[in-house]
Amino acid sequence: METLIYTALFAPLVGSLFAAMFGMSPKTLLTGVVTSLLLFVSFVASVLLLQHVMAVGPVHATLMDWIVAGDMRIPFGFSVDEVTAVMMVVVTLVSTVVHIYSNGYMEHDKGFNRFFSYLSAFVFSMLVLVMSDNFLGLFIGWEGVGVCSWLLIGFWYHRKDESRDVNPSISPAWAANEAFIMNRIADLGMLIGIFLIYWNVGSLQYDQVFASVGQMSHGLLVAIGIFLFIGAMGKSAQFPLHTWLADAMEGPTPVSALIHAATMVTAGVYLVIRAHPLYSAIPEVGYFIAVVGTFVAIFAASMALVNRDLKRIIAYSTLSQLGYMFAAAGLGAYWVALFHLAAHAFFKALLFLGAGNVMHAMHDELDIFKMGGLKKVMGWTYAYMGIASLALAGIWPLAGFYSKDTILEVAFNEHTYGIWFVLWLTAGLTAFYSFRLVFLTFWSDERYKEYGFHPHEVQKYVLWAMAPLAILAVIFGWWKEEFMAFVTRLLPAYEMNEHTHHMLGVLIVVTLAIAIGGIVVAYLMYHKRLRRNPKIEASLPYRILSNQYYIPVFYDKAFAKPYAELSDIAWKEIDMQVVDATVDGIAKIVEESGDESRKMQNGNLSDYLKWMAAGALILAVLALVAALKS
Amino acid sequence: MENILSVLIFFPLVAALLGFVVRKESIRVYGLTVAAIEFLLTLWLWFAFDPNNAGFQFIEYIPLVSDFGINYYLGVDGISLFLVVMTGLITLIGIIGLGDVKRLKNMILSLLVLETAMVGVFVSLDAIVFYLFWEFSLVPMLYIIGYWGGERRLYAAIKFFLYTFTGSLIMLVGMLYVAYIYQSVAGVWSFSITDWYALVLPISVQKWLFWAFFIGFAIKVPMFPFHTWLPYAHGQAPTIGSVILAAVLLKMGTYGFVRFSLPMFPDASVAYILPVAVLAIIMIIYTAMVAYAQEDMKQVIAYSSISHMGVIILGTFAMNAEGITGSIFLMLSHGIVSGALFLLVGVIYDRRHTKLMSEFGGLAAVMPKYAVIFGIMLMASVGLPLTIGFVGEYLSLAGFFRISPIMTLLGGTSIILGAIYMLSLYKKSFFGPVTKEENKKLTDLNGRELAALVPLVAIVIWLGVYPKPVLVPIDNSVKALVTFMEEKAQTPEAKAIIHVSTSTKEAK
Repeated sequence: METLIYTALFAPLVGSLFAAMFGMSPKTLLTGVVTSLLLFVSFVASVLLLQHVMAVGPVHATLMDWIVAGDMRIPFGFSVDEVTAVMMVVVTLVSTVVHIYSNGYMEHDKGFNRFFSYLSAFVFSMLVLVMSDNFLGLFIGWEGVGVCSWLLIGFWYHRKDESRDVNPSISPAWAANEAFIMNRIADLGMLIGIFLIYWNVGSLQYDQVFASVGQMSHGLLVAIGIFLFIGAMGKSAQFPLHTWLADAMEGPTPVSALIHAATMVTAGVYLVIRAHPLYSAIPEVGYFIAVVGTFVAIFAASMALVNRDLKRIIAYSTLSQLGYMFAAAGLGAYWVALFHLAAHAFFKALLFLGAGNVMHAMHDELDIFKMGGLKKVMGWTYAYMGIASLALAGIWPLAGFYSKDTILEVAFNEHTYGIWFVLWLTAGLTAFYSFRLVFLTFWSDERYKEYGFHPHEVQKYVLWAMAPLAILAVIFGWWKEEFMAFVTRLLPAYEMNEHTHHMLGVLIVVTLAIAIGGIVVAYLMYHKRLRRNPKIEASLPYRILSNQYYIPVFYDKAFAKPYAELSDIAWKEIDMQVVDATVDGIAKIVEESGDESRKMQNGNLSDYLKWMAAGALILAVLALVAALKS
Repeated sequence: MENILSVLIFFPLVAALLGFVVRKESIRVYGLTVAAIEFLLTLWLWFAFDPNNAGFQFIEYIPLVSDFGINYYLGVDGISLFLVVMTGLITLIGIIGLGDVKRLKNMILSLLVLETAMVGVFVSLDAIVFYLFWEFSLVPMLYIIGYWGGERRLYAAIKFFLYTFTGSLIMLVGMLYVAYIYQSVAGVWSFSITDWYALVLPISVQKWLFWAFFIGFAIKVPMFPFHTWLPYAHGQAPTIGSVILAAVLLKMGTYGFVRFSLPMFPDASVAYILPVAVLAIIMIIYTAMVAYAQEDMKQVIAYSSISHMGVIILGTFAMNAEGITGSIFLMLSHGIVSGALFLLVGVIYDRRHTKLMSEFGGLAAVMPKYAVIFGIMLMASVGLPLTIGFVGEYLSLAGFFRISPIMTLLGGTSIILGAIYMLSLYKKSFFGPVTKEENKKLTDLNGRELAALVPLVAIVIWLGVYPKPVLVPIDNSVKALVTFMEEKAQTPEAKAIIHVSTSTKEAK
């Protein structure tokens, strides 16, 4: 089994290094093909591991020691249990699809080889993240995906900075740095959590840490839980560290599909699921997580309502769905969170890849107000994005219906009706903005003709590559019972009480109703033509939403600018004018007093005698004082 | 090779003297050969070193002035071993990377003399011999900055010299006082550090001596507020000067804390954790901010060095094996990474004769290899796991967490602020469109530059992935040090704070 573990883990790394060898040479199809094949190998190994875990049980492998100092002993250890196996299959499956897709998408890009090198490196890091058997190993992957995300968001680094009005993300390089730094803020929280664990447990191995949850004081558990969650908030872009995710859309679209929708951003959710023995012991922190998640769900959805940028809308929807996952995990329904994570990975990656097709067709135009009527020329893409949007909206019998509905049931079951209501409302908003996007892109009038676009469908093999995601977006939900049975071998089973069972039918109908309601509204508003109301667009709420609640501007004004100014003051005013000036001042005093006293040595004998007399007098006085004192 | 340490010290010096008769045309090859042999010798030292022995090895002892207890007394343990190896490595890399400078011969000979001084500092076990090498190291550096430096080289060189020299003098007074106390207790004079270790000093005396040594080390490190000589020195020094200064010379200060302050004054060290840590945290945050404000690429790296040294200080004063081992590893990794970064800045300076970030932009497209190596070093500098930079930073902070979680949180901002100034440097210089005409035709790294940088890249990744061969010898000596401190400490508070590893306790 160790061979399988290492095959799954290292195949993407080999691919990445292989592609990196050609990083500076012109495009070679070979890099795309080899990395895709190796990803497929990794996927097969992951599936075999999943089967093995199903049939036999978890497997474990330790490669070698990493950090050994004092009592700290951190190995490169990997364990594949139920949760990890699911994560591995999801990650490698989506990655394989995205790799194949990218062969087409990046066809004309100068950085083709470089792109595949980064993309495979990302998969490797992500696998390290989910497979590690200790917190610091997870942190390797955690930072690794961060760097790959930095490289890939900034992939088109040569573009110049623009003002926020022209490009809300300023530039790829800017967005990349923002993502990295935001994540670093959260990572510090995570490191503190790791230190807390280390000094209280003496180990960072999951099994030992979780085994000693019982011996730790409640306050300590709360502290650890909060600090680890701060880490999760960065990677999963939860409020207030969320701004980077929408800006991350500056990266190539396959990257958005893989990293900023399906896999990396779910790492935070994974962490909470992984640390479930810990969070189960501190339900109040769990409740806090659920509230944050619920808030982000509706907060992000609200921004998606008015946005015109194809990718940003999907990015906000990702944020919103991550909120759902945290809500579930926070309420203790870990397996439901994992279920939604997997389902979301499939339909959201599909949605993004479809958006990539549209972008290709529209020569990188992202404004959905300039599209419309594309279903005539892009039937397949339309079908894919339609399926993905239906799944996202939670329409029966697609995957999203099962996973999202279960989250709502959990919220209801916990008697957290506030959370339930907000999530229910968000389901309606989700359906609305998803289908606003679909109708404005594929239905309605063909506005693109005014702008002189000649859209066309993408290559056949790219469309075929997307098929597995489409199929899963449809059928994945049907495996809900099997999925639950499998992962609850490790995760706590979540039982609905009598009352909820009773209400189940009503809940489903109510949720479906609001989802369908959202679609209908979108249909009425946009299926024929783009309706715009200048009055509404000029109104304050609309402007607040379209400017992301002015949060990025606020961050600029409240943190970035003052920090830069303060830094400048620290350098020019304090370091140069105070600290260094003091040092030079002391030196100057020495120099000048020397210079002044040099004048005594003027070669005039009578002057010397005067100084001598003065010196003798002082000595005499001192002697006298000393004598009197003693 | 019983006297390998003497060979390590004097081989470069003798070679430098012989170098005067070498012809100018062959001096580069000569210098390379000598530095390479010296580096191989340091490697031999590493392989011959017994990692399970925590004490001093390869001891040499020749009485010099017996009446005053001054002896030629050398030895290495896990703490100093890798600093010696790194000195050999950085000198070699520096000479490989040496571009076309005026008076190449003088430069190479100065470097070899400097190497003697640096190795001498790390292997001396006699305070006077240590002090001699310590001060001696200033001379070649004074020459390197003062002769090959930029426009204000004389100001920078003299500032560097006088400032550090003043600090060392105070340290010397401290040393003389320790010897005096030793004489009054033991009846004979001794300057040997191991003898001094055995000396149990009254706490009031420890406190004074702690600060005397502190001044000497703190200026060298340099700690806030004694740091302002460093930006001038880096700003004016030629590339090679900055490389050696950042990689090795600064480490003499932090090494001093571990070699002298901790074992000799355990109670005072514990008592003064708070003020020292406050200074370290100011260093970390404040100089990171100053680094962010810089317009000159080299000054960013210079200030970032100070910021990183703050983390080393935190680790050193963690009073447990995790932190101290981490701080020593961080000395090594900072040496490698900052050395590489200064070399990289030198590369672009050689081409454009400017280091201002505003002059660049879009370099990644023009010089991809340069951008890749710079990127790797950047990531190592911000402490990315699986690069060399993470291990030491993580361990230092983890160790200090036991002393104070709050202060660790403040010191930990290093990972955020470091990312801010480094990434913004990278963005300004490497990303964006190529705006300046003269940048469009820049040539990528040449063979010589690659030969200097690629080994460093390899080390950055190798020791990031598998730091164990280096960590284990360090850790063994550090555990012994911590155990020793705990036994020697007089106050119960100090005993409580000095944390002996459970693995050490079990071994007994």
